[in-house]
Amino acid sequence: MYAVAEVIDDLCVANKGCRLCIMYCPEANTILFDKEKKVAVVVEPRCKGCELCVVVCSAAKHNAIELVHR
Amino acid sequence: MSKEKIKINQEFYDIMPLEYRELVEEGTYGKENRGWKDVGESKELIEEHSLCAGCPESIAFRYVLACLPAPEDTIMVGSTGCTSLVFPHVAVHNIHSLFGNQNAVASGLKRALSFRFPDKIKDVVVLAGDGATVDIGLDMTLQSWFRQEKFTTICFDNELYANTGGQSSGLMQKGFVAKMAPAGKKFDKVPLPEIAKSSGCHYVVKMTVSKPNRVEKAIREAILVAREIGPTYIQLYTPCILEIGKQMMEGLQEMRDSEGPNKRFEFEEYVSDEARAYLDTVNPKKKKRKKAIVTK
Ligand SMILES: Cc1ncc(C[n+]2csc(CCOP(=O)(O)OP(=O)(O)O)c2C)c(N)n1
Ligand code: SF4
Ligand code: SF4
Ligand code: SF4
Repeated sequence: MYAVAEVIDDLCVANKGCRLCIMYCPEANTILFDKEKKVAVVVEPRCKGCELCVVVCSAAKHNAIELVHR
Repeated sequence: MSKEKIKINQEFYDIMPLEYRELVEEGTYGKENRGWKDVGESKELIEEHSLCAGCPESIAFRYVLACLPAPEDTIMVGSTGCTSLVFPHVAVHNIHSLFGNQNAVASGLKRALSFRFPDKIKDVVVLAGDGATVDIGLDMTLQSWFRQEKFTTICFDNELYANTGGQSSGLMQKGFVAKMAPAGKKFDKVPLPEIAKSSGCHYVVKMTVSKPNRVEKAIREAILVAREIGPTYIQLYTPCILEIGKQMMEGLQEMRDSEGPNKRFEFEEYVSDEARAYLDTVNPKKKKRKKAIVTK
């Protein structure tokens, strides 16, 4: 079992320009902006579960990304 | 060079790995005004390396690669250390040099490129850890600056030898105790930005990588100045969370805590008169916009 990040679409405000998780995720090409749904999306196989995205998203009070176990 | 060089022969298109196809279709080679804002919306030129989860070196790599002004005409020179684990996953030409030799290799490379392609811009960018830049490679680092070699040196300063388990480096803080430096560092952090200034660098910046827009400006300007004027040096704090006992999500906070007023990574910039005059010619629009905002 390992932890990966998952975006809660209803809470994500990427449509208003938020890119915090995309910007601070240490891994490249791992959180992308879904141009159709207008939300951030995690490419799971590349996620190392470091939780930095959760830290920056919750610090901005969006709480739109969480760690889930697979 | 343009994207033409990496274009896939149609016959083989369907058997090429998805990642390669994405690079060809969505990579930002040849794009004007590349920058950190491209991340998340176009293919980044780095992917799936083995650095620790949460390592700030990974964030720094993302920003540096997103901000190279012309990645298709850039050759990076790396050295041994955690950074060398990443270069095989970087979609920009790069050379791995013997530990410490990076600035010597880059000097020869830059000269050969200028000779071979006299009418083209070819950027050479060294990217190495602090052990490689300041201890074992200090001779090569300084000699390249004295000789006014036209390339940029970027040091990922994590204040110790991370890849070999945490020995002390010249850039470690005085008194710091690490796993393999139990007696504590005996002397002050080597003031390499100061030394760079007095050794002939025309553009020197010391900063953390907590603010991508600032990293973008520094990387872009350092590379432009190196093209036209002479050597440039960027020192980025990329804390080794593993060796300083931080959790994997604490790297960003560690950088923020270290860049406040009078902290050792407070933003510092030096631009020589020559470099300033040159930058004013390439950034005229930006300057005007800034002035307009101030007068509002
Ligand atoms: C000539 C040589 N000497 C020593 C080593 C062993 N070695 C490998 S990585 C490393 C430490 C690298 O430290 P640094 O440059 O600070 O990079 P970091 O791993 O901290 O990013 C050392 C000493 C080597 N590979 N080659
Ligand atoms: S930080 Fe949170 S709100 Fe912002 S884009 Fe990422 S998941 Fe969405
Ligand atoms: S947990 Fe870490 S690696 Fe995974 S998406 Fe979030 S920031 Fe990126
Ligand atoms: S050992 Fe330190 S510098 Fe190297 S990848 Fe891990 S956290 Fe990063």
